[in-house]
Amino acid sequence: MSGTAGERHQRGPALGIARLLLVTATIVAIWMIVLPWLGSRPAISRHIETMEAAGVQPGAMFYTELERLPLRSEWIEQHLVLWP
Amino acid sequence: MTKDVLLPHRHGLHEDSAAIIIGVIIVALSLVIGWNARPTADAGSREKHPKGWRNPLSATIDKPQSWSDSPARSLVVVDKKDPAKVTPVSRAILLGMAWVVGVSAVGTLLRGRSLLAVLPGACALALLGGLAYLMAAQKVINHYNLEYPLWALLVGLVIGNTVGVPKWLEPSLQGEFLIKTGLVVFGAEVLFSRLLELGLPGLLTSWVVTPIVLVTTYLFGVYWMKIPSKSLCMVIAADMSVCGVSAAIATGAACKAKKEELSLAIGLSLLFTVAMMVVMPPFIQWTGMDPIVGGAWIGGTIDATGAVVAAGEMLGRSIDDKRPAEVAATVKMIQNSMIGIIAFAVAVYWAGWVDRDAAGPKSSLAAEAWRRFPKFILGFIGTSIACSVLFTSSPELSLLIDGAISGFTSRLRGWLFCVGFVCMGLQTNFRELAPTLASGRPLVLYCLGQALNLALSLAMASLTFGWLFRKVVEP
Repeated sequence: MSGTAGERHQRGPALGIARLLLVTATIVAIWMIVLPWLGSRPAISRHIETMEAAGVQPGAMFYTELERLPLRSEWIEQHLVLWP
Repeated sequence: MTKDVLLPHRHGLHEDSAAIIIGVIIVALSLVIGWNARPTADAGSREKHPKGWRNPLSATIDKPQSWSDSPARSLVVVDKKDPAKVTPVSRAILLGMAWVVGVSAVGTLLRGRSLLAVLPGACALALLGGLAYLMAAQKVINHYNLEYPLWALLVGLVIGNTVGVPKWLEPSLQGEFLIKTGLVVFGAEVLFSRLLELGLPGLLTSWVVTPIVLVTTYLFGVYWMKIPSKSLCMVIAADMSVCGVSAAIATGAACKAKKEELSLAIGLSLLFTVAMMVVMPPFIQWTGMDPIVGGAWIGGTIDATGAVVAAGEMLGRSIDDKRPAEVAATVKMIQNSMIGIIAFAVAVYWAGWVDRDAAGPKSSLAAEAWRRFPKFILGFIGTSIACSVLFTSSPELSLLIDGAISGFTSRLRGWLFCVGFVCMGLQTNFRELAPTLASGRPLVLYCLGQALNLALSLAMASLTFGWLFRKVVEP
């Protein structure tokens, strides 16, 4: 009985480490193979190039992380009544 | 030593007080150092300093840069004009991790806990935060706006659900403290003057629609869909109606949402952000909608700021017009600036009404509400008000604030959130949410709230940007 419990105790961390290695290998494969391949597809690579050329920071969580602060343009001042 | 470590608040400050002290010191430090290094010529010129004065602290912190094939590329910045010119940022990335370890260490000391027990784990967590940032910096991930909190949660979840949290790491899991400190620092970025950038049309689109959608979605989730957790409904309502992950973090902390609830809300928000970013620009173009109205609609509905700018740019490119991107980004910026007020209102509502204990002692309502009120919100609002006042005081101070934010505080806040989310992932137990998840109700709530958001934002954008405040200008 104690042998079985001992085995279970031994198997627990080993199983956890095996799971961690499996998930890590999957993540590495996705980031090193799948995503670079996806990024080389014409539609996606065109999208990325366009955004980079425009200086867009698509991963920005808040406006302060943008490359350019969004400030109102001359067009907006000329065509919108900002304060009636 | 273990007993020593586990004793909570032994002769130390409360977590919220420590977060406020450290957050305020960080903001003040960046402003003082920025002021001491002010430029001698054209100090008040925004043309010369479009992102504010260069803050010397910017050299002490950075994050992994965008990479496509090799993660080694994340350690260098490539000059856009001259791709042969590369600047290494590995030292600044390591220093960024050191800042987080420093904040954890000072927080530990202020809270009267054992520093030695926390330091090794804090270093390991900072490295895991770096790994999450590295995953988020992959170009495809980055350009489809799958932000770092998602990967930080994933890193934590993978470890926590496979090998579990090692004993030596447990004392270092201070996710809530790091996020609260990050929020106090984040207050410096929430500048009230930005609210007025698009005048009345911008205010109406953001300030009328957003609170209506937030309150309606929350009430709908609690009373009609009968979702048992009010905090889950609030976090979903806030991240969907205000500005995605940052709003979820602020309101989640204000209403003391569970880690699992915040993780779920962030996951939902990011998935819908990607879908809306891809679908909305062609839809707007297909309907022949006024590009300004389309831009305002994008700004009012897509959750994440980066995705709003990307969608506005996509719309603008398709019709060769820069205006939709400008309007979209500015409307989003106004919504961003609402976070402080929304978080404060949620904290007051939660402390005064939701968390009330009917069977508790009969002290006055105000005293009870104050006891439950998350005090760190005061630090968040305080840094926001102080920086807003400084920002509007003079052109020089506005450039000082902009430089401190873009060069230092926003980067440090990012690191604090990132490592905070790794801690949350490590401690997240999705089994607790399993019944709610299996019912699919959070997803339905998000969809219904977003449908209302889309309809109301379109109506308000058409009314304000398309008709009511549009000048008749001769071509």
